[in-house]
Amino acid sequence: MEIKIEKLSKKFGDNHVLKDINLVIEKNKSTIILGKSGCGKSVLLKLIYQLIKNDEGSILYDKKSFVDIDKFGMLFQYGALFDSLTIAENIAFGEINEGKNNYRNKVINSLKEVGLSADIYNKYPSEISGGMKKRVALARAIYKNPKVIFLDEPTTGLDPINSDMINELIIRIIRKKKMTAVTITHDIQSALKTGDNYFFLNNGVVEDSGKCTSMLKSKNKLLDEFLLGVKKLQKS
Amino acid sequence: MQFIESIGKTALNVIRAIGKLVIFICLFFQFILKPKFYLKHNSKYFIEIFISSIPIIALTGIFSGMVLALQSYTGFSRFSAESAIPNIVVLTLTRELGPVLTGLMISARVGSAIAAEIATMRVTEQIDALKTLNTNYFNYLVTPRVLSLTLAMPIFVTIVDFIGVMGGYVVSVYRLGFNENMYLINTIDFLSFSDYLSGVIKATVFGFIISIISCYNGLYSEKGAFGVGSATTNAVVLSSILILVFNYFLTEIFF
Repeated sequence: MEIKIEKLSKKFGDNHVLKDINLVIEKNKSTIILGKSGCGKSVLLKLIYQLIKNDEGSILYDKKSFVDIDKFGMLFQYGALFDSLTIAENIAFGEINEGKNNYRNKVINSLKEVGLSADIYNKYPSEISGGMKKRVALARAIYKNPKVIFLDEPTTGLDPINSDMINELIIRIIRKKKMTAVTITHDIQSALKTGDNYFFLNNGVVEDSGKCTSMLKSKNKLLDEFLLGVKKLQKS
Repeated sequence: MQFIESIGKTALNVIRAIGKLVIFICLFFQFILKPKFYLKHNSKYFIEIFISSIPIIALTGIFSGMVLALQSYTGFSRFSAESAIPNIVVLTLTRELGPVLTGLMISARVGSAIAAEIATMRVTEQIDALKTLNTNYFNYLVTPRVLSLTLAMPIFVTIVDFIGVMGGYVVSVYRLGFNENMYLINTIDFLSFSDYLSGVIKATVFGFIISIISCYNGLYSEKGAFGVGSATTNAVVLSSILILVFNYFLTEIFF
């Protein structure tokens, strides 16, 4: 699914979070949105997901102004699994609420797809590790075979080995299922590894964009500062 | 000048909060009129509330009835009116103590749990996750809790009334030497259905107050551990105060 954003603006009270945003998220490509905390990345994601309404401008999904939310999937920063439900109930949440009961095989397949065994089927989120939670959240996000998957800081809180594993998994899944992916991240290594295109936001404005392969060669000063800051932080 | 400004700000914040709460209540009634019931989830929640609350309200009922009998005896024995004790115990419990004490206990037990759970869900993005899974979070989180507690409270108060009367009976018969048959006859004879009904109506209103205030505080909590803590405290304090205030006005109506 191609997503075209034109002259998009969003305000909360006097706070102008996004100003005149223009960008295109290409079909079946992985797009990375970079930027400092508070620059409007999460608001942009929520606007694209249709969770909140924009004040001005338009978002077109394959040239249509509205799309069924079931065509989207989302991986939250810390998983956002429902504590009171089992892993299976978390993954098949939508189907259970629709009154369907024959989800067992489908859930087990989803677990396999993210490299987990069926042993955790009846466990609760508090009984599994952080890395496993992230994978379960990914399994939930792809359960309904969405056309677009949104990934909010997918490697946050994970050690380098688990981060690598999640990145590999994401690349494999979006390629296999031919999904469009939109990722918010501060992790430059992950962005370079998983992304095709990038957009750099600063103070609610798109400051720079291009192919991820040319990100490090960008002449944009603000992006340069941001990349340097992230590198320093990662080193420390 | 700053003092006046801070009074103005506080007043505006209070008006804003009341406005938000009124809209929240209107939203609840809007969803009740065109509900999408998550049947499994709703029934699970009702059972959870019911089972977890029974021991607490049973203890509240039995000790209230026992103390009431003892204290009434202290007062009434001074002018030889001990025979009025069964009437006092049953009327005070059904009309007043049953609904109010049950309301306060349920506010502490269930209200705090509702507020903490929803606030935690908000902090950990679980409410955003509900939205992304095409689920109406209001129908999923608020409606079942408000309905469950509003429907459970009349049952709770009936249990408290019954256990409380039995507590009074035990103390009066085995401690104060009342005739057991006379105690029961006096209790049944003096209790009218309207006494019981007024308590049940009060309990239903209190159930609604506790659940709506707790859901509201949970959903609009601030972020972080502090937000969860203050949402829980606010839910219990506000619903307890409102129970006492509404109790007076309802008593005026049923007087």
